Amino acid sequence: MSQSQPANRREDLRLITGRGRYTADVNLTGQLHAAFLRADRAHAQIVSINAEPALRQPGVVAVFTGADAIDAGYTQFPNLMSFAGRNGAQILKPERPVLATTAVRYVGETIAMVVAESALAAQDAIDAIEIDYRDLSAVVTVTDALAAGAPQLHENVPGNLCFEWETGDARAVEEAFAKAAHITRLKVLTTRVAPSPLEPRGSLVSYDAASESYDIYTPSQGMMMLRKQFAMLTGVPEEKLRVHTNDVGGSFGQRSGVYPEHGALMIAAKKLGRPVKWVGSRADGFMSDAHGRGIEIAGQLALDSAGEFIAARYDFLCDMGAYLTPTGSISHLRNPATLMTGVYKIPALYGAFKVVLTNTVPIAAYRGAGRPDIAYAIERLVDRAADELKIERSELRRRNFIPADAFPYKTPTVGVYEPSDFAGCLEQALTTADWRGFEARRVAAKGRGKLRGIGLSTIIEATGAGVFPKDQVAIEVDAAGKLTVYTVSMSSGQGHETTFTSVVADTLGLPHAMVTLRECDPARELIGNHTGGSRSMAGVGSVCKVAADKLIEQAKPLAAEELELEPSQVDYAGGEFKSRDGEKTISFVQLAQKLAGRDPHPMNTLAEATVGSTWPNGCHIAEVEIDPDTGVTEIASYVAVDDCGTVINHQIVEGQVHGGVTQGAGQMFQEEVIYDRASGQLLTGSFMDYGMPRAGLVRDINVGDHPVPSKLNAIGAKGVGESGCTASLPALANAMTDALRPAGVGHLDMPYTPSKVWHSIQAAKINPSK
Amino acid sequence: MFQFNYVKAKSLSDAQALIAANPDAKLLSGGMTLIPTLKQRLAQPSHLVDIGGLSELRGIEVKDGQLVIGAATRHYEVASSAVVKKALPALASLAYLIGDPQVRNRGTLGGSIANNDPAADYPAAVLALDATIVTNKREIAAGNFFQGMFATALEEGEIVVRVRFNIPPRAAYEKFAHPASGYAMAGVFVADGAAGLRVAVTGAASGVFRWSEAEQALTKKLSPEVLEGLPLDLTNMNEDIHATREYRANLARVMTKRALVKMLAGK
Repeated sequence: MSQSQPANRREDLRLITGRGRYTADVNLTGQLHAAFLRADRAHAQIVSINAEPALRQPGVVAVFTGADAIDAGYTQFPNLMSFAGRNGAQILKPERPVLATTAVRYVGETIAMVVAESALAAQDAIDAIEIDYRDLSAVVTVTDALAAGAPQLHENVPGNLCFEWETGDARAVEEAFAKAAHITRLKVLTTRVAPSPLEPRGSLVSYDAASESYDIYTPSQGMMMLRKQFAMLTGVPEEKLRVHTNDVGGSFGQRSGVYPEHGALMIAAKKLGRPVKWVGSRADGFMSDAHGRGIEIAGQLALDSAGEFIAARYDFLCDMGAYLTPTGSISHLRNPATLMTGVYKIPALYGAFKVVLTNTVPIAAYRGAGRPDIAYAIERLVDRAADELKIERSELRRRNFIPADAFPYKTPTVGVYEPSDFAGCLEQALTTADWRGFEARRVAAKGRGKLRGIGLSTIIEATGAGVFPKDQVAIEVDAAGKLTVYTVSMSSGQGHETTFTSVVADTLGLPHAMVTLRECDPARELIGNHTGGSRSMAGVGSVCKVAADKLIEQAKPLAAEELELEPSQVDYAGGEFKSRDGEKTISFVQLAQKLAGRDPHPMNTLAEATVGSTWPNGCHIAEVEIDPDTGVTEIASYVAVDDCGTVINHQIVEGQVHGGVTQGAGQMFQEEVIYDRASGQLLTGSFMDYGMPRAGLVRDINVGDHPVPSKLNAIGAKGVGESGCTASLPALANAMTDALRPAGVGHLDMPYTPSKVWHSIQAAKINPSK
Repeated sequence: MFQFNYVKAKSLSDAQALIAANPDAKLLSGGMTLIPTLKQRLAQPSHLVDIGGLSELRGIEVKDGQLVIGAATRHYEVASSAVVKKALPALASLAYLIGDPQVRNRGTLGGSIANNDPAADYPAAVLALDATIVTNKREIAAGNFFQGMFATALEEGEIVVRVRFNIPPRAAYEKFAHPASGYAMAGVFVADGAAGLRVAVTGAASGVFRWSEAEQALTKKLSPEVLEGLPLDLTNMNEDIHATREYRANLARVMTKRALVKMLAGK
């Protein structure tokens, strides 16, 4: 297809000048306001709850509690786990009423909802609700939760272990380990983080008694995925649920699932017959928006005497928090399992997973959703093996890459990789970063009293195949010949308005301004997946191309009629239908205008395709400099080379990489959700304590494209939404390890806070790592 | 936020009367601590008496050899003031390091010292420069003003009007900003003036303090290396999820060293 000119993002002016329309901006006539009473402790039985005093507060209309959740039957959240565990066991799903009934299991859990004439009145009345607890011991780490005698969160989840699963071939791995020349072992932790999108969570729900249907205004990553979950939670048929999403300020996977507040607002809107609105605060966010990551991985890599990988084994402990979200459990198992071999040829693989519940905020998919975690484990292991065997790090990788002639490559676990050029990406990154000239920079830094290090990662991802079997795109043509593209995915910063419309406009040879995008219009029901797993450009963007191609074919007979030709004699190029001899022409716009008045417009098109996983990959190189006096790290340079397939718009690719790398750097250096181990209290409940990355953390990111177009979809895109996170965790950690090695410091778990780095350097002065 | 009455004071005496008449009233200057506290429903004042706009509380001048700054002067005004930059450039650079642009354009000197957050920047300068805090009732020497975490010598209804800073020939401030909050994890103001050498440390401990061992050692020899191995009491150092007390003590030492180097370089 024709490569579009890099266009500035069409949505930017609207969004950065405050003209975006977010959920909190929506108001309905007669609406009421809700506020939630949340658990102030991590684990307790609810002995009694008395809402009467709150009901007497001025402006209060109603108070809802767990009893209302039970009456409505809103107690079982959807969970998308699609396979059985060890010995055929199904995942144990704890009950989760949308308002707690008998117990609370994490700080922030919803207990009661006050509905009042104003948000302030609702909030004031919360304090009047009387509640008696019987405190229970809390567990906030997987290790504590699995320990003998640990407090039990749910009766139906013995030992707090809700799922065990294994993948690969345990015996083959065991045999390979027995004959290995060398085994490298490393246990790593990807910390629990709070994604914290800019727009707080919130919803507005209205109920129409005549049609028994609901209108739900909420941020989302795509309306069909969320609507399906609303139906699963509430039993309300999908056709009775209209999900409205306008602009969304960041999602990161956190908005992929239904939340208790959604269900509670539905109960209230139906019972009270008035719309009910709730807008969360940042404090609500920290204690109730789904968290991300939280996986411990014990990895082992076996090599033969030639430095070739012969087997690897990973043991995962996945923290799910107090309840199962729709996504967290499946994404934290399927994605690492699919990518367990990384970009390497490893004949024998085995992974064992334990899914564990703790008294913490439930965990969901978060940018990468298991992909950064496994990439981090693999790439740290490979670096450690290189160090132990004294093989240059890039050389060890090159020696073990899946070779170019091995594609499609069926991995020993569950994936089939499409063609990629791992060695080419590596070489491009090494050159851009001047990898070979690094030692001089290390020496120069040493002269300034600094510890400088360099690290790389070579990674691969499997993009989300989606929950729905296909993605549909509709194009509608108006009387002026302008086009509106409809999809049910949702942009929350990805720039779909720019890219999807450019795919359509470029295919049709029309100016971009003639095409606009409308996502998640509840009046136009399409089948399709949400935005997630880096899939939108490959999954929906490619169907935009299919739709535009179909539109041309559909219009050719119409143009032929106008031109008085046989349809087979009509060609289309540059926005014009023309006769084969070039004598007769009619432009797209002229044809559209001529056919206006027919309803529906005969050029309207609906197209669809089934698009499975694609395989973005790349090589990132980070260079860091540590001040040993303070333990502060500066990211001195960062090079990203990504094979995201065909690049539709490089500026948007850069934006995605910038965001992903910065989120990765945030996790690596300062973000971490911390709970008090004894009490289960959340200690990082605001931006005063939670180290959200700022723009200055990664000052200069060099983004290079290394496209190997995908053959798995119509535009050749592989996706780029998450590679920044997936590649930066290991690249930064490997750079830090390299920088700290001369100081005698070995592997450190993230985050590399100044205090931790400084203490490690001090400790190594007394007792250096080998 | 709970409901409250907002009153914009017309004058200092008006503010004084309003505070006296309403025992549950609070003074509002820049609001950089008070407003977030209200938003978290951690305070429930009956009235907010806004003194942020009072002309009696504003202004920057050099008078009788001292730099005098009105209590409601905003951080940005101090940071960008030609008068401050000329008389006491270390104070201008300190003000520039407070918070972020929004905070610097709202927050005030008086609000900062009256609140006495143990990690605020200004207390280090006020203490190191032996400043005088002028209130609507009296004058208080810096050494008597700060009384530990969020505690000051201010009495009920007492309002900071202005602060008089001594102008030393040389001074410098170095700050290690907390990665999340931007507050000082350790901030050190070093001054070499008529009263002798001063080292005041904020952020590291439960309140701003003078590192007397460092002052004595540097008085004997004004050189960074004397700070190596010098005792620094860990007892009152803060320890939390972000950093140990040992680390904060190290930061205090390193920031002292860097402030000293900066001061000696005349920057």
